[in-house]
Amino acid sequence: MFSFVGLALFYGCSRDLPTYQAYESFSFSKSDPEGGTWKPILLTSGSEILIDQPQEITSPEYLEEVSRVKVEQSKMSDEDRTQVSYWSNNPVIRWNEITLGLIAKYNLIPGPNDDDSYTLPSASNPDGKSKFPFAHPPYAVRALSYLSVAQYDGMVAACYQQYKHKRFGPSTVDNTIQQFYQDNEIPSYPSDGAVIAAASRKVLSAMFPLEAEYLLNLQKLHLKSLLHSGAHVESDILAGIKIGEYIADLALKRATGDGMNKAQVSKSVSDSIAKAGKDNFGWEWKNLEIPARPVGLAPFFGNVKPWAMSDVKLFRSEPPVAIGSDEFIKDIALLKDYADNVTPERRRIANFWQDGIGTYTPPGHWNYFATQLIIKYKINPIRSARIYAYLNMAMTDAGIACWDTKYYYYYPRPIQMIDGFKTILGTPNFPAYSSGHSVFSSAGAEILGFIFPEERVLLRSWAREAALSRLYGGIHWSWDASAGTAQGAKVADVFIDIAAKDGAD
Amino acid sequence: MKYISFLQLKFQLLITFSSLIVFSVSGQTTTDAIMMPEGSACIFLGHSSGSFDHYWEGGTLRSNRTIANVTRTNTNAEVAIGITSRLNAYVGLPYITTKSSEPNGGKFAGVSGFQDISITLKYLGFQKKWNKSELSILGSFGFSNPITNYLSDYMPYNLGLGATQLSYLAIVQYDLDCDVYFRTFGGYEWRGYTKAEREYYYNNGNYFTPWMDVPSAVRFGGVIGAWVADKTLQLEINYNSLQSTSGDDIRSYAGPQPTNKVSMSSVGFFAHYFLNRVPGLGIIVQGNTVVSGQNTAKASTLGAGITYQFKYKK
Repeated sequence: MFSFVGLALFYGCSRDLPTYQAYESFSFSKSDPEGGTWKPILLTSGSEILIDQPQEITSPEYLEEVSRVKVEQSKMSDEDRTQVSYWSNNPVIRWNEITLGLIAKYNLIPGPNDDDSYTLPSASNPDGKSKFPFAHPPYAVRALSYLSVAQYDGMVAACYQQYKHKRFGPSTVDNTIQQFYQDNEIPSYPSDGAVIAAASRKVLSAMFPLEAEYLLNLQKLHLKSLLHSGAHVESDILAGIKIGEYIADLALKRATGDGMNKAQVSKSVSDSIAKAGKDNFGWEWKNLEIPARPVGLAPFFGNVKPWAMSDVKLFRSEPPVAIGSDEFIKDIALLKDYADNVTPERRRIANFWQDGIGTYTPPGHWNYFATQLIIKYKINPIRSARIYAYLNMAMTDAGIACWDTKYYYYYPRPIQMIDGFKTILGTPNFPAYSSGHSVFSSAGAEILGFIFPEERVLLRSWAREAALSRLYGGIHWSWDASAGTAQGAKVADVFIDIAAKDGAD
Repeated sequence: MKYISFLQLKFQLLITFSSLIVFSVSGQTTTDAIMMPEGSACIFLGHSSGSFDHYWEGGTLRSNRTIANVTRTNTNAEVAIGITSRLNAYVGLPYITTKSSEPNGGKFAGVSGFQDISITLKYLGFQKKWNKSELSILGSFGFSNPITNYLSDYMPYNLGLGATQLSYLAIVQYDLDCDVYFRTFGGYEWRGYTKAEREYYYNNGNYFTPWMDVPSAVRFGGVIGAWVADKTLQLEINYNSLQSTSGDDIRSYAGPQPTNKVSMSSVGFFAHYFLNRVPGLGIIVQGNTVVSGQNTAKASTLGAGITYQFKYKK
């Protein structure tokens, strides 16, 4: 009898734990035949990338391609069908999701060596003691921005060609071809799925070099699913790959020279940054880990080339509250109260927004929100790519402004200033002011609120909650959060101005 | 049973680190072969303290000054009831406190609170007596469930695994009339899901849910015991093993999480002394240390407690 009860509980409690977004091919809320005229980010225009004139649908070459699709479809396995369904007709979402997984996989902070030194990951030796990259929030948001910009520009270029040539899928000439996607009446040459696959694979392989083989395999699966879908022939796919690789190269060229490789500085440079902070303001942030990390995280991320901010100094927060002032003493009491009274609600909020080591980071969390909105509002691929592009560019620039502020003011963390203080979140390895979570979240909420005005109130409340979560966690001051929220919104405004004029609305 | 006149009940205090860990309090009372007679009950109050400064990250033993030396204390109340001479029930509830030694690099707050309530039934299924020996075969079924909203996803300071657990154990004991006995037990512990307070985690890939699948485990162990001092003192040495049947490794210099694939072997001792002067009263001292493992703490635990047995009906 006992084992019967046990078995009943066993089966009754089995849960589905989703490892990917449960969406399939869907009918888009609208199509964007003018998408090829939108202002791209890195390309001069949607017409910049040249591809071959497609074969007429009456041509023997095209008919041969169609018959090959039929043959391929006749050999489809269950796994092939699963792949078609998985990649869907909006694979922008999938590649974003894949990127979140890579970020989480590589978001591991190097531990100390036996002699108490730390070995940092190196791009020139990615498989060293610490795997490259350490996908911390600045690295993650920048990688996401290159991915999304390449996807978006690739989609603009694809859309330009699609409506220039207007060659629709193989079922136009053969109605026995199975259609696995919802028909959205988008021309098939070039395949936008192939643009996304090639651009994403190439950008991500540079950002996560140890994953090149894994990513190549994903690209293969994705491209095969495009042929199986009944929406594309091989020449559609090849033209898409050409566009995807072109834009990926352009994006990676920018990435090589954006200064990220200089973001982590030497001990001596780090010491001079600390000294400047102390000379200017009289305080000095310190890493309290054992053994202490000699250098904070990415001190020169603030010098990385922004996507649109004119001058990072214009986005620097005002000086934080002076240490020892009445306001400072008041905040100590507030943080102690939070630490002494970890209510279920405060704990939930602190953990919900934690997005710490081993996770997809706060920028990843906001990409996840974007994904949910894209699915909810049935957004088409080019618009999805635009959303992720503006979201991730804005969060990258916001992160740059935040890091500039952090290392300019070099403001200490609560554990450093409050004797015996304990936290329920890990204190990060960089100065407190302004709060990165607050900046990323505010920038993310403003961009998504601009795209989805009906969600703006909710999104802003999330950004405020994310900012507050760091106080509940014991790792930030009130002004870190409030200045961060303001900073993120200010940076986002730059991008909202650009997006408002890019031709999409 | 041979020693039934002692009316004793054995409790094990061995609660290791439920996080980097995983011995649940439930099940522990189910691994002996002692049955209380019908109408008797026994109350146990105990306290134990365990600590570790090394743990296995995957299979690699390491220290980590972020957490330094982590201590876990367990104050446990249990009651055992002889429903019939063949069926016993056990109910237990531990109160646990965790913290790191000073100095530590992480400055994480420890946690205190009630953990999981456990209810276990043990049934004596078979018994055969020979001239100079006796064989007993028992089965037990245990259920445990968190009774507070502690956060399992706060390792290594979490109070417990935050999941429903069911244990199925078979116990075989062979008693010799020279007051020496051998016991072995084995079984399966099904563990359910625990809810984290985040909507995403990484477990060799993306998981877009707060729910974590806590790996189930296979357990087995062995005991050599003896009664000495005119049967007022019971002494045992034991070996315990637990192997998760699924799960992921703790990642490099990262915190553990409830999805980890835990395995561990420990050795320990147990002593139960029955006071002649106060009928029904006993004192327990026991300890154990983890000797090998994966994704678990190399913890050592020492504990003591008192037992008091009485008849609740004639």
